[in-house]
Amino acid sequence: MSSAFRITQRSLSTSTLAGLQANLARLQDTQARLSSGRAIQRPSDSPTGTMSALRLRADLDRYAQLDRNADDGKARLGTADTALTDGLSILREARDAVLQGANSSLSATDREALAAQVDGLRTSLLAVANTKYLQQPIFAGTAGATSAYDASGAYQGNAGAVTRSIAPGVKVAVNATGEEAFGPAGNDIFTVLANISNDLRTNPSNLTTTDLGQLDAGYLRMQNTLASVGSRYHQIEIMQGRNQANQLESQNQLSEVEGVDLPATTVNLQLQEVAYQAALGATAKVIQPSLVDFLR
Amino acid sequence: MGDFSGLQIALSSLYAQRKALQVTGQNIANVNTDGYSRQRVEMAANAGPMTPAVESRYTGPGMGVTTGDTTRLRDQFLELRGYQEHATDAGLTQTQSVLSRIELAFDEPSDDGLSKVISNFMAGFDDVANNPDDLAARAQLVEQGKTLAAGFSQLDSALATQRSSTIDELNSLVGEVNGSASQIAELNQSISSAINGGFSPNELMDQRDQLISKLAEQVGATVRPGDDGQVDVFVGGTALVRGTQASPLRVDVGTDPAQTVRAVWTADGYPAGVAGSAGAMLSATNDVIPRYRDGLAAAAQQLADEVNAVHRTGYALDGSTNRDFFVAAPGGGIQVDPAIAADPSLVAASASAGATRDGSVAQQIAELTGGGDAYHRLVVNLGVEAQANNRRVDVQASIVQHVDAARESAAGVNLDEEMTSMLEYQHAYDAASRFLTAVDQTLDTLINQTGLVGRS
Repeated sequence: MSSAFRITQRSLSTSTLAGLQANLARLQDTQARLSSGRAIQRPSDSPTGTMSALRLRADLDRYAQLDRNADDGKARLGTADTALTDGLSILREARDAVLQGANSSLSATDREALAAQVDGLRTSLLAVANTKYLQQPIFAGTAGATSAYDASGAYQGNAGAVTRSIAPGVKVAVNATGEEAFGPAGNDIFTVLANISNDLRTNPSNLTTTDLGQLDAGYLRMQNTLASVGSRYHQIEIMQGRNQANQLESQNQLSEVEGVDLPATTVNLQLQEVAYQAALGATAKVIQPSLVDFLR
Repeated sequence: MGDFSGLQIALSSLYAQRKALQVTGQNIANVNTDGYSRQRVEMAANAGPMTPAVESRYTGPGMGVTTGDTTRLRDQFLELRGYQEHATDAGLTQTQSVLSRIELAFDEPSDDGLSKVISNFMAGFDDVANNPDDLAARAQLVEQGKTLAAGFSQLDSALATQRSSTIDELNSLVGEVNGSASQIAELNQSISSAINGGFSPNELMDQRDQLISKLAEQVGATVRPGDDGQVDVFVGGTALVRGTQASPLRVDVGTDPAQTVRAVWTADGYPAGVAGSAGAMLSATNDVIPRYRDGLAAAAQQLADEVNAVHRTGYALDGSTNRDFFVAAPGGGIQVDPAIAADPSLVAASASAGATRDGSVAQQIAELTGGGDAYHRLVVNLGVEAQANNRRVDVQASIVQHVDAARESAAGVNLDEEMTSMLEYQHAYDAASRFLTAVDQTLDTLINQTGLVGRS
């Protein structure tokens, strides 16, 4: 026997079979990727990819939630915006009434009519101040009251800020409290309107000396609040846009990490199929002959 | 030199060639038999008598051929190397299947895994924060909390089941090992009897080698040749088979479910240093699976702790505070506080008593990521461990392939070679017959044709 490495029929078939098995395993792997559309089937396929995939998935969920938060915040601020705009037009009507009432040529009856109009405006403003979103009074802060102001005009809420998380680590107040919008208790716009109605009836001289100034201060306060509400609405819109861009970006990254590169994988599959067929063909040729076939 | 010695030479050749031909037939017959080692008849030229006698000396060419033992062509060192590599391979493959089953149980990354459940749960707090006095949002959060706790406990029990099924597997494997050990002891007995009786023990030895190679895979057994063709088989330095005596192993599970599982000698209860598949099973039950169960429990605990820490600072709708969201479950693990589960208004979303429309505490909880990150790290660690093991399996597989090829190269049957030997022996047999005829004819000439002078 020579000392050269002997090749036997059995070792030939074993190694051929091992080669075919390896080919077939690669084929199955590629098939699984193609059919599931995912390059990472299990963590060991790519631990780093798994880390990215898990983080990106968590990010995506977080962005979706932040988007919902932002929508809720925008709805609340939008409601406040409409309410405050209504409130301002009411105050403008009240100012007209004050200026009219200050005219010394007016009769008492006319002033009584103006006073009744101001009373009506005060009631309307109370209704505006009690505007609700999802059954919750939007000007009551964080208090669990059913309305922000009671019929007498007393504030039922608190000074709490209702906030929404709209971006990672960014919280925005999505309410204006009654005191911010309508003035501190005792000096609020409802007291001012009540004073005006009272002065129209009893003391018209106060109208220009004190009431008009207080009314204008109240108007300015409400206008400032409206501006603040508007700018916060805008802020949320910008952040939401950025969130959506981030969400899209995360989605792209996720499909890059986790998704299958279709053209490349399809080509791979083709190549592997060809390799497998070639291996099968070679096996069929190699395995058959031995000296048996050539001896009589 | 006698006249008939030519006949003896021819006869010895006929015997020898026929025996060689038969061994060739045996080789061909076993070309596909697992563990068969090819055999060869050792032939030696028979010298004539060496001791000169008075008045007589031998001047002939020798007395034909003798056939010695039929030997197995097998490289003992390659076999030992093969046992070792197969044991390593079996251990790695076993670990691979354990890790792959753990990966299946985790089912990550996907939309159904625990990480999605954690995300959903955290998002639930933000939904409560958006509508703090909405009982529906709170009830949904509680359900998500229950799903989370159930998710952790299901995964844990899947791992626990895997551990106990691995112990069952180990038990049946040890049973098989004990069976093989006593079979080897019996074979040792038969082989030494065969050798002492002058029979060929080759096929018995092949059988024994196959059992040993299986034992190497199962428990990392090593082997040392003994007397009379017997072998001793060792596991971790202690004899599993010594001569005709086998010492069985058993699995010591212990009484406490969490206790370390060991393979011990039945005789004295000392732990056996098993390797191979059994070694990998032990490491799976004592190290790998408990490690992931601990990691999972730690992630659950971290999540519960961080949620609780913030939740305690919050106020429920009724103004109560300092309440944990998660509490320890009776059977281990976490569960949603039963009081909260019964009354979702107890979820503490608000930062101050009475501010029922404040959700800032729930918002804080929604931004917590520690528990989720701990879980992610666990999954990634699993991926790294499984990937590293997969690579080792690939490397070991190619080592085993090479060693097996080398073993096969020494011991395997090559049909071309056997056909060639068949031709050689057949021709030799033909030639020996022809030689016999030639001697016969010379004798015929001597006996029947010689000394006829003067005959009529």
